[in-house]
Amino acid sequence: MQDVTVHISKPQWSTLAPHLFSRYPNSEWATWLEFGWRASADSLALAVRHCDLPRAGELDDAVAHVAFQEPYSLRIALQAEKHPFAVGVAHSHPKTCLPIASSIDDDMDGYYSDYLSGFTGDRPYPSLIFSEVDGEVIGSGRVWRSGRWHPVTRIVLEGRAIPTWVAGNPPIEKPILEKRVARLSGAMGRRAAQRLRDARIGVVGAGGTGAPAIEILARAGVGHLIVVDPDTVDHSNLERVHGAYESDVARNRSKVEVARDHVRAIDPEISLTGLVGRIPQPQVVDALAQCNVILGCTDQQHSRLALNEIALRYCIPVIDTGVTLEGTDGQVNAQIIQLLHLAAGSACVVCRGMVDWKRIGQELMNPEEQLRRRNAALEARQRGEDPHGYWDDLPQLNTVGYLTTAAASLAAGCAIGLVTGAFSSGFERAQWTYFATPIEALAWHEHRNSHCFCARIEGVGAQCPEEQMVNCPAHWQAVRAV
Amino acid sequence: MSQERIERELSSLRDGGIVAELLTQASRPVVLYRGVPTGGAPLSLPATTDVIVPVPDGYPAAPIDLAGLPTGSPLLSRLRGGQNNQGNVTADGRNWQLASYHPHSNGGGPPYDPQLHGFHTYLDQLIAWLHRID
Repeated sequence: MQDVTVHISKPQWSTLAPHLFSRYPNSEWATWLEFGWRASADSLALAVRHCDLPRAGELDDAVAHVAFQEPYSLRIALQAEKHPFAVGVAHSHPKTCLPIASSIDDDMDGYYSDYLSGFTGDRPYPSLIFSEVDGEVIGSGRVWRSGRWHPVTRIVLEGRAIPTWVAGNPPIEKPILEKRVARLSGAMGRRAAQRLRDARIGVVGAGGTGAPAIEILARAGVGHLIVVDPDTVDHSNLERVHGAYESDVARNRSKVEVARDHVRAIDPEISLTGLVGRIPQPQVVDALAQCNVILGCTDQQHSRLALNEIALRYCIPVIDTGVTLEGTDGQVNAQIIQLLHLAAGSACVVCRGMVDWKRIGQELMNPEEQLRRRNAALEARQRGEDPHGYWDDLPQLNTVGYLTTAAASLAAGCAIGLVTGAFSSGFERAQWTYFATPIEALAWHEHRNSHCFCARIEGVGAQCPEEQMVNCPAHWQAVRAV
Repeated sequence: MSQERIERELSSLRDGGIVAELLTQASRPVVLYRGVPTGGAPLSLPATTDVIVPVPDGYPAAPIDLAGLPTGSPLLSRLRGGQNNQGNVTADGRNWQLASYHPHSNGGGPPYDPQLHGFHTYLDQLIAWLHRID
């Protein structure tokens, strides 16, 4: 398996890390974990859903290494029969010791991968090792699946990958273009530039906001971009989409192809996975589930909700952008940029009251039904009846390039902060009102509704499909990789 | 379409003795409710009827809407929106006509909320609709 990524949310890490390092510096400690997971032909994404910490006496505290007592393992195994999640273990190595599996670890993993398969069937069995070396947490892991071990290739903590030893080897760092990112390195440190080079960032929507965000991330030296958009470039996009030209319109090129060529022109060493498609199509989710961070750059409500589901299911932070420009008779009276930081533990877009279900229904209808309903609404109006039951006209959102580029810059900055660990955006929702006097900036916290579905899907991966809010309509075209 | 969710909703109806099933082999996916009571008996109309409801693209984020009766049903001309044909469906070996019935869009029911509503709660809307006969 090419990519095996483990995502750990901030709330889970705040439970896991103090426990694992509680016997530092000399002794190890461990816990069982539940993981949501998603497997494709060449990748596996795992999200830590729950730390099932040991009760008193369930680990042998008389020895420095990890020794599970049988009641602990049996308790976990019996629980596993009642849920669909992967079950695995995380343990620490003593301070300054590398996270390379020892012969004791090999015995433990060999035993438990076999033991648990009797309770979990063909679910993966992940085993993770963490240690602290030179003041930094580093890790490694492996996953037993389909009769063999697969090394974990990346461990990502709330957007920031920790140095991950792979199959006993030190992390492979992609070469960075030192001169190009000299100013960034100067400000945030060389480590930040390296983290960006080794990162994978998803951008959903490659239009007015997505295109400049992609450019900023490419120029910052991000090593792998995953770009998703279903549309082709048209004339009305040329005012905003960076890298798009008249010739692209004439050739009916997809926005993803335009982004790919623009990125190649900036830095041909960047890997770009381009998908002409939509979320949550499975091939798209497979790719996004490997990302450190995802930027949401669409104005479709179903996309925003689906992205929020991905953020929660796979514990991947999402920065979602929204731009509004309002005015009449040539006078602009509102220019607003809004960013949402969607992550495990925070309120979702439903909790925040940002979802119009009827609008989502209209967005997801097939074109024939949309047309039929529009006509039915028109006829109802002509009869003097309420057209609301048939169709609500969606306002055309107008915007301009300077505003979408400003929004993209802020969103890309948030992603860079998360990936490098150099700074935190510090908000859950922020709004800038441009060209007001003075320019207004608001940030606020919103409470999660404890009854909302979002509280039930954190870290569940592809499991619990009955909880999925946005499902792919049958009329959507298949995803095309470019 | 979330088949798992729809099956869970219909299962809760079946627990209460209601016969409802998801038909994915129809000309479009629908839920078929069998033997739904109507207010037709005093008017010499059928006292029960089978009803289909299309599964919206993207359900459950997309709201449930519309209702269909067997083509030619005498109820169609007497029910609200029944004469306003919103499409035809072939399902369960029969032809069906969709009526202009929109309970979650100012049509008499509450605003749609997928955390509260589903094919199990839509039955209440259908029964109310089938009892308002002109």
